[in-house]
Parts: sequence; C-alpha cells; structure tokens
Amino acid sequence: MASISIKGLTKSFNAGDDAPAAVSQLDLDIKDNQFVTLLGPSGCGKTTTLRMIAGYIVPDAGTIHVNGRLISAPGNVVPPDQRGMGMVFQNYAVWPHKTVYQNVVFGLKLRKIPAAQLKAKMEETLALVNLTGLEQRYPNELSGGQQQRVALARSLVVEPEILLLDEPLSNLDAKLRENMRVELKRLQRRTGITFVYVTHDQAEALALSDHIAVIHGGRLQQYGTPQDVYARPANRVVADFMGLVNLVPAKVAGPGTLEAAGGLKLQVALPDGIKTGDSVEVSIRPENIQLSVGGTGARATISERTFLGNITEYYASLDPGPTLRVQTHPAQVFAVGDKVTVEIDATQCSVFRSSAL
Amino acid sequence: MSVQAIGPPIRVRGPRTRLRFEHFVMGGAILCLIVLVVLPLLTLLLGSVRGEQGMSLENFTEVLSNRLYVNALKNSLILGAWTGLFSLIIGVSLAWAVSRTDVPGKGLIQVTASLSYLSPPFLTAIAFVYLFSPNAGLINVLVRDVLGLPFLTFNVFSMAGLVLVTVLHTFPFVYLLASSALLSVDASYEEAAQILGASKLRTALSVTAPLVAPAILSGTLLAFVNAISLFGSQAIIGLPGRIVTLPTRIYALFDYPPEYGLASALSLLFVVITVVALYLQRAFLARRSYVTLGGKGARPQLMSLGPARWLVFGFVVLTFVVAIVLPYSTLIAVSFSKSWGLDFWKGLTLQNYKFILFEYNVTQRAILNSLGLATVAATIAVLLGAIIGWIDLRTRLPGRKLLDYFALIPLGLPGIVVAVALIQFWLAMPLALYGTLAILLLAYVGRYIPLGVRAANSSLRQIDPALEESAQILGASWLTTMREVTLPLIRPGLFAGWLLVFVPVIQELSASILLFSSSSITLAVAVYNLYETGYIEPVAALAIVNMIIIGAAIFVANKLGGGRIASRSGATQGLAS
Ligand SMILES: Nc1ncnc2c1ncn2[C@@H]1O[C@H](COP(=O)(O)OP(=O)(O)OP(=O)(O)O)[C@@H](O)[C@H]1O
Ligand SMILES: [Mg+2]
Repeated sequence: MASISIKGLTKSFNAGDDAPAAVSQLDLDIKDNQFVTLLGPSGCGKTTTLRMIAGYIVPDAGTIHVNGRLISAPGNVVPPDQRGMGMVFQNYAVWPHKTVYQNVVFGLKLRKIPAAQLKAKMEETLALVNLTGLEQRYPNELSGGQQQRVALARSLVVEPEILLLDEPLSNLDAKLRENMRVELKRLQRRTGITFVYVTHDQAEALALSDHIAVIHGGRLQQYGTPQDVYARPANRVVADFMGLVNLVPAKVAGPGTLEAAGGLKLQVALPDGIKTGDSVEVSIRPENIQLSVGGTGARATISERTFLGNITEYYASLDPGPTLRVQTHPAQVFAVGDKVTVEIDATQCSVFRSSAL
Repeated sequence: MSVQAIGPPIRVRGPRTRLRFEHFVMGGAILCLIVLVVLPLLTLLLGSVRGEQGMSLENFTEVLSNRLYVNALKNSLILGAWTGLFSLIIGVSLAWAVSRTDVPGKGLIQVTASLSYLSPPFLTAIAFVYLFSPNAGLINVLVRDVLGLPFLTFNVFSMAGLVLVTVLHTFPFVYLLASSALLSVDASYEEAAQILGASKLRTALSVTAPLVAPAILSGTLLAFVNAISLFGSQAIIGLPGRIVTLPTRIYALFDYPPEYGLASALSLLFVVITVVALYLQRAFLARRSYVTLGGKGARPQLMSLGPARWLVFGFVVLTFVVAIVLPYSTLIAVSFSKSWGLDFWKGLTLQNYKFILFEYNVTQRAILNSLGLATVAATIAVLLGAIIGWIDLRTRLPGRKLLDYFALIPLGLPGIVVAVALIQFWLAMPLALYGTLAILLLAYVGRYIPLGVRAANSSLRQIDPALEESAQILGASWLTTMREVTLPLIRPGLFAGWLLVFVPVIQELSASILLFSSSSITLAVAVYNLYETGYIEPVAALAIVNMIIIGAAIFVANKLGGGRIASRSGATQGLAS
C-alpha cells in the first residue's frame, strides 16, 4: 500500500562535540506491502531512524518520500500527526486513564467516522487482536501481552498504510514473544500494511522480515532478504552480527584459492579487487563445517564439546592454527582429544578484505 | 481486515514550514513570563541606578550609609536569625518526637504544623497585640493589675514579640523537611552504628544528625527567607515598637512623595539576601538526596521515652495552644465583645459582624476581589506552569533552560519587592494598570508562578513522552493531545499546585499593600487597614470572616479536586525545590 524511500538521512545529537552521528547517510527503499526490519546492536541508531520516519525527530539532512510524496526534507518536515502512519512503542504507551475501548477508538474519533461504521470497525479490530470482552478494562487491569495488543489495535484500527514498531516484543516473556511474532507476521500479511520493525534480535529479524536493514554505528551495512543477509553478508560486521560465525584469517594463494593456517585450503569466489597475495578473512558458519575421522582435508583436534539438544557444538583446533566452532548432528559423536578432519562447504563462505573495519 | 479507506483518512500533506497553534501558545507563555518577571525586574534594576542626573550609584550609597536603611537591614537580619534559630529548635524537636519517639498525640503535631503554616501571620500578630500590647493587652492587664505581678508582663511590641509571632508561622518549614528526612533514614544505618557499640546518643549525633543535617539547614533557611519577607507582622508589631525592617522601610518610602530610586535600591539589597539564602538552601537540599538513597526498608526505631514522654507531650500541647488556640480564641472572643478588656464576657454582641458584613461597605468588595483574584491567579499560574514545564521537558527549544530559570526567580522575591518592581514598570507603560485588579493579578501570578511550574514539572516528569507521541501519530493535533492525554494525566499534580497557589494568594498582604486601591482592595488589606484605623473589635470580626473564607475555600477546592489534598509535604516541596 505504501512505499517509503529514504535518501541520505542523517542525524547527530549534540552537534557540538565530535561524537559520531547517530544516523548518517542512510539510504533505504521500502516497497509496498513489505515487512522490513531495522536490525543492529544497541545504540546503532535504529530508534532514531524510526522516529525520523515517524516525524518525531527532525533530520539534519536527507529526504523521506512516502508513495513518491516528499514528507521530510531539511527545513521542511511534516509533523507526525499529518503523516498518517501508525506506531507501536516498546513500552506500549497505552493511555492509563482510558479504557481499552477508549484507547482504541481514539483514532477513529479523530477521523470523525460515522457511528455505525465505527462500531463495526472496533469489533473487527478487537477481534483481530483477541481483545474482545476486555473493552471496559483499564490498562492496569491488563497483562503485558494484552497491553501490547491494545497498542497494536490502537494503531491498526485507523488502517495506516505504514506501521512503525520499535522493539514491540522486547518486554514480553519468551513464550509470549514467540506467539506474538507469529501473530504479527500473520497480521502483516492479512492487512498488507507496510511494517517497519526495529529489533536488536537477529533471530526475530530473520523470522519476520521480507527485508532486513542491518545498521551499525549509524550506517546501513546491508539491505537484503534474510537469506541474503545471513548467507551473503556484505561485510565482516554483518557476518559477525548475524549469528555465530568463525572468522578465519587467510591468504589468497591464487585465483579463487585461499590458504589459512593449519593447512586449510578453500576454493571460493573472491570479491572484486582482491588479488593474489592479499590478506583476507573468511567467514565460515559453524553448520557449514563437516567433521570426520580419516577424511581428506585439514587436521584438527577436538578441544571442547557442548551438547545443545538438537545439535552438538565442538571446538576444533587446527594444528597449528585457529580454533573453529562446529555444529553437527547430535548423532555424530567425538570425544575431547579426538583427531578429526575438517571439511568446509566453501560455497557458503564469504571473504572479506582484512582491513575491512 | 481489508485495507480500504475508512472515512476521511488523515491526509499526508506535503512539507511546508508554517506556524502551528502550539507555537502561538508557547510564544504566549514565554511572553507572559517576560512581562510578569523579567521586565519588572529590569525596571527595578534601572530604577535603582537612576539618579538626579543620569545613571549613578547614589541610591546604593545612600542605602548603605544612611542609618535609616542600615538599621532596617540590621533589624531584618536579626529577626531572620532569631526566627531561624527558634524555628530550628521547635521544628527539629517536633520532628524528632514524631519520627523517633513514642510520644502520644502525634496527630496533634501534624495538625499544629499544618495549621500554623496555613494561618495568615498578620492575623496571629493582631491576636497577640490583643493579648500582649503593653498597656491594654489582656494578659498584661491580668498579671499586672489583677495578680499584681508587673514583672511578668510581656511587651509584644519588641523584637522578642516579633520573633515569637513569626516563629509560629515559620517553624513548620523546618518541621516538615526534618521529619521527612528523619523518616527516610534507613534504620540499618543506625543499627550498624549500634552493633559497633555506639550508644543511642552517640548514634544520634554521629550517624543520624549528619544524615538529616542538610534537610534541617535547608528548612531553617526557608524559615529565614520567609520570616524577613512578611510585611504584615512586621508592620503590626514592629512599627509600634520602633523596629523598622526592610519591608516596612520600603513601604514607608512610598509615603508622598514616593522615593522610587531608594525603594528600588533597598529592594535589590533585600533580594540579594533572599537569593543568597535560597541558593544555600538549594545547595543543602541537593545534598539531601543521599538520605533516601539508603535502602528500601526505612523502619526508624522508636525510642521509648518512659514518663518523659508526657513532658514532650506537654511541649507539643504548649505549641498547639500558643500557635493555634490562643490566637484564634482571642480573635473569636474579641469579635464577639462590645469592648475588649478583662470583663469582655459581660457584653457579648453580634454587632461587630453586623457592622463588618453589612455596614462597612469595603468587606463585600474585598471578599469578592480576593476570591476572584485567588481563583484566577491560581488557574493562570498553573496553566502557565504547565506550558513552561512542557516546553522545558518536551521540546528542544533553544533557551528553554533559561525559561525554567526565569520561572524560578520569583521564589527569591519578597512580596513588597514584587510590588515595587511592578509599580515602576507599569507606571512607565502607557497602560493605566496601577490601582486596578489587573496589577494585583500580575503580582500574584508573577510571585507564585514557581509553584505552578514546579507542580507541572514534577507531574510531567512522571509521564512517558510516548503517551503523547502515540496520540500524535494517530493524527491528534497538539491541542487534542494536550486535552486528551497530557492534561488528564497531570491533572492531580496540577490541582495540588492550584491549591498551593490559591492559599497564599487569598491571604497575600506584602505585595497587595502597595498595589491596592479602594476599588481593588483585598481581604488581607481590608483587615490591615481597619486595624490601622484603630478599630479593635470589628477587626477581629473581619479576621474571623477572613479565616472562615480561607477555610471554606480550601475545603471546597479539596472537594472539587476529588479529595486530592495539597499534602503538607507538597506544600514544602513547592517552596523548597
Ligand atoms: N535524544 C537524544 N539525545 C542525545 N543522544 C541521543 C538521543 N537519542 C539517541 N541518542 C544517541 O544516538 C545514538 C543512537 O540511538 P538510538 O536510540 O537510535 O539507538 P538504538 O539503535 O535504538 O538502540 P537500542 O537498541 O538500545 O534502543 C546513541 O548513541 C544514543 O546515545
Ligand atoms: Mg531503540
């Protein structure tokens, strides 16, 4: 229903000191009907970005278009109440002095919806988020999950074209979070609303998103599908942030050939501009390493074993060389001290220049 | 749920810089503050350096060298010092009794402190004159002529008398701050000292005392500032005893022809004293924070006083009698007597009330004026406070800290100084405000705006900005957000602030005395004028009417506020923070 196009968005607080900008030169194209996640570590500028999209924070530079309409440019910023977006806050921000009904109906009243339509709309929305029957409760009589639903309903009832969510699940317990995750995804599909979702939880981002924007230090690092971001990280920072990874230093021995310490050899597609003799880092996911006894390949010794239920994790020390984290099917059992051979699925590895960050 | 337009959607408008309603509201509030506080103060400053020809410091030289003014300064400081000392002694004793001992009648202590704080000091002063004026004071007559013990008489028209009357109003400042500090000292601090072998006394001196000292000092300084700022008691008791203080000397400078330059210079000198005292007070209060940092379980240990507790109880009762029973029963007795004297009870009458309410044509006007002014002033002070607090906490407006600071300045301005500044400012303006209700309103709002700002500020702080933001994103304008979200949420706090302004305004005398005219006369001024004219019995009747109106107004305001009482601690927070 709505696309968002962000160009060169920049914001720094305390212009005076030379602290890095909270958000700098951010470009982002969000298509209709998408679930897009802004993902990154604490303090990387996710909330700042979201609040600039909503209009609460005035950017220092850059533009924001919604459906091709300019809504934010330096010196020309449409205030939040005229952007027609919805937002769900981390702490819900459900009004404590209004009942569930009054909270949800607020936006409809502002839009002067006729009574009959209003009633139908309210019933539909409350049913959608499973709040039917709780209309007359005050927020302090609701559980955290229910308050969360009120916040959602309040934003959804006015059918915004864009819904902004700032870590909406982070205050819920693990079980509830899981449930709400599924509900949110379902909701987004059913309504077709464009969701911009902020989280620092990469598992959540992978599970929910159509596209993930990985942000670090106020800069966009990579923007792509979850599969892309996970399997083809654009740089070391992204690789490191998206789950467990082994970052192994290596040298380019020839075209498409890498040599790492411990006799590890890999045939990989090299990024442009990397020549023979360059120092690089290879990122290898633990699930892309095979351990075997007596195979061909680099030799390693098991130095630690952790049983995790659905998988077993080993630390395999290449001799001489780095220690790799390896995840295997639990049926495959090695003992600490066992000599093993390491095989790596090179198609799933990424190579970065050593100097990169 | 299908996505289709439901009624008129909120339009996504193109960017356009334009002034919105809230900009006008904020601008208006800032302008108000400038007109109320900043410009009058600047006028005061200018007035003080305006000499016979051009700018000069001659007013200051005069004020600092002429015995007339130096004496006033000296008397004010002496009054402040003694009042501070006795407020400290009484306040700390009562606070200690309430929070650390098993003394009976703790409720009585609370009641005494609250009532003493709420009583207009000029009424207490008048009551004490009825009892202790050197010749006709009832108690003096009794001990001298009936009991034949002339050495037991007490002349209220003396520094001692002035201190006595003032302390009755100021000790609650120390009491309230000290008792809340004592109650918040975690018992474990004291237990820790005792387990190391410290005696009770040693513990009190080496552990408890240092912990609560900042709060006590802070309360004492508040008592000091308050004491020296009171015009009514210093005029009623000081002037007959030839004890001229800063407020009464400034007042005298307005006798024809008014000496604006000298009045301004003296006012500034006055402000320097109050500001220094308040600065110290804030510094002490800031150090208080570590008291409450302790632990969660503040379970102060109660000391068993044994039979001595009746002695302490006696002290409590004595305070109650002197501060409340004596003044009010005296006023009541005088108001019903034909002629005040030893055998007043022989001729009781309602004539004084009849005269005051129906024949003396000032009373009804004064009542209406005071009620109207207090209601309007409290409402404006609180609303302005809400806007200023909101600007400070919710916007990134450059200079908003300065705004907040300006709004606090009046805390350091004695009423009479506010009056001196306003008179000069508005006389210089083309608007003829002098002598109207409007100038009184300006004085009251200006003087009490800090209470409004504090009340709004502390309530706003407790409200997550996201609550406002979520209304905004749904399309609510600033006004709608305020009306639907912000104001309902801070209403209890604002209401407490409203009462906090209403109560002092309805008994305000220090500024009113220079600003009123016969049409804009207020209750407190009416009482003071009638007293000055030499009436005795009708003054008491008017004083009682005054008290009834104050009491009724507080009662009604409390009812309207849904039982939310401007709690006693709230009262000092407003003044202390
Ligand atoms: N109002 C503000 N004033 C000054 N600095 C701010 C402000 N808001 C954010 N910042 C700074 O900007 C940077 C980005 O903050 P932001 O809130 O966007 O981070 P975030 O990615 O949302 O982090 P988190 O996951 O912890 O919520 C941080 O360094 C933060 O300290
Ligand atoms: Mg955040």
